[in-house]
Amino acid sequence: MLRKELIKIGLDCADCKEVLMTMGQEFVNVGVAKETYPQALVDREANYPTALPAKAFDIATPHTFAEHVNEPAVGIAILAHPVEWQQMGSPEITLHPQVIFMLAVTDPKQQIGTLRKIMMLIQDPERLAKIKDLKTVDEVYEAVKDVFN
Amino acid sequence: MGVRFLTVCGSGIVTSSMLAETIGDWLREEGYEGVEVNECNPSEMANFLARQHHDFVAYASPIDHDQLDGVPAIPAIGLITGMGTDEFYENVKQVLSDVGIYPGK
Repeated sequence: MLRKELIKIGLDCADCKEVLMTMGQEFVNVGVAKETYPQALVDREANYPTALPAKAFDIATPHTFAEHVNEPAVGIAILAHPVEWQQMGSPEITLHPQVIFMLAVTDPKQQIGTLRKIMMLIQDPERLAKIKDLKTVDEVYEAVKDVFN
Repeated sequence: MGVRFLTVCGSGIVTSSMLAETIGDWLREEGYEGVEVNECNPSEMANFLARQHHDFVAYASPIDHDQLDGVPAIPAIGLITGMGTDEFYENVKQVLSDVGIYPGK
């Protein structure tokens, strides 16, 4: 599910919406998502935000409905600097994620193995911290490929 | 002994699936034989609860507590982040013990 084309390092965005539109468009460009995907991410995020306070640091797991997705995929953005992002389940709380795991899900039943591995990754502070400091796409891919493939 | 629960998240897809699998596994380890789970988004919750009896709701997005109709609801974000896992399961044990269907392992 993880594609090197969908790993972005040092992504410089002003806010959450720019992250969603920029990364979402990458998903469209490689063909795993439909043209409607980036805006659908933004709309969904406005109602049900996806930032989480992981042990290591805040992260976010933006995703949206399967109708905007062509095939399952995962992208990772390591941001140049954290942006404000509302917390999942508690939209009144503002978090500052710096690593974004963007998901394109078609059938959660099929992709449950991957979803659970993402959960385990979120809960592993050493591993998350290591990913944040990697400098190349290849390094990030190697560090997490067992989680996503 | 059987148990049925409902997981709720913003899209009713990703986080609710993570919760459903994780909590389901835990319930089976605790000794339940029939574990049933439904997943939905907040706007679907009332319909799910009206259609079938659920022993509890685990939610990862804000829900309308007036729509629970007496079904205990437990916040579940801590289960995803790993900060609050024990507290979550203690809450589930309490809820199930209160209605006399916790196997008590």
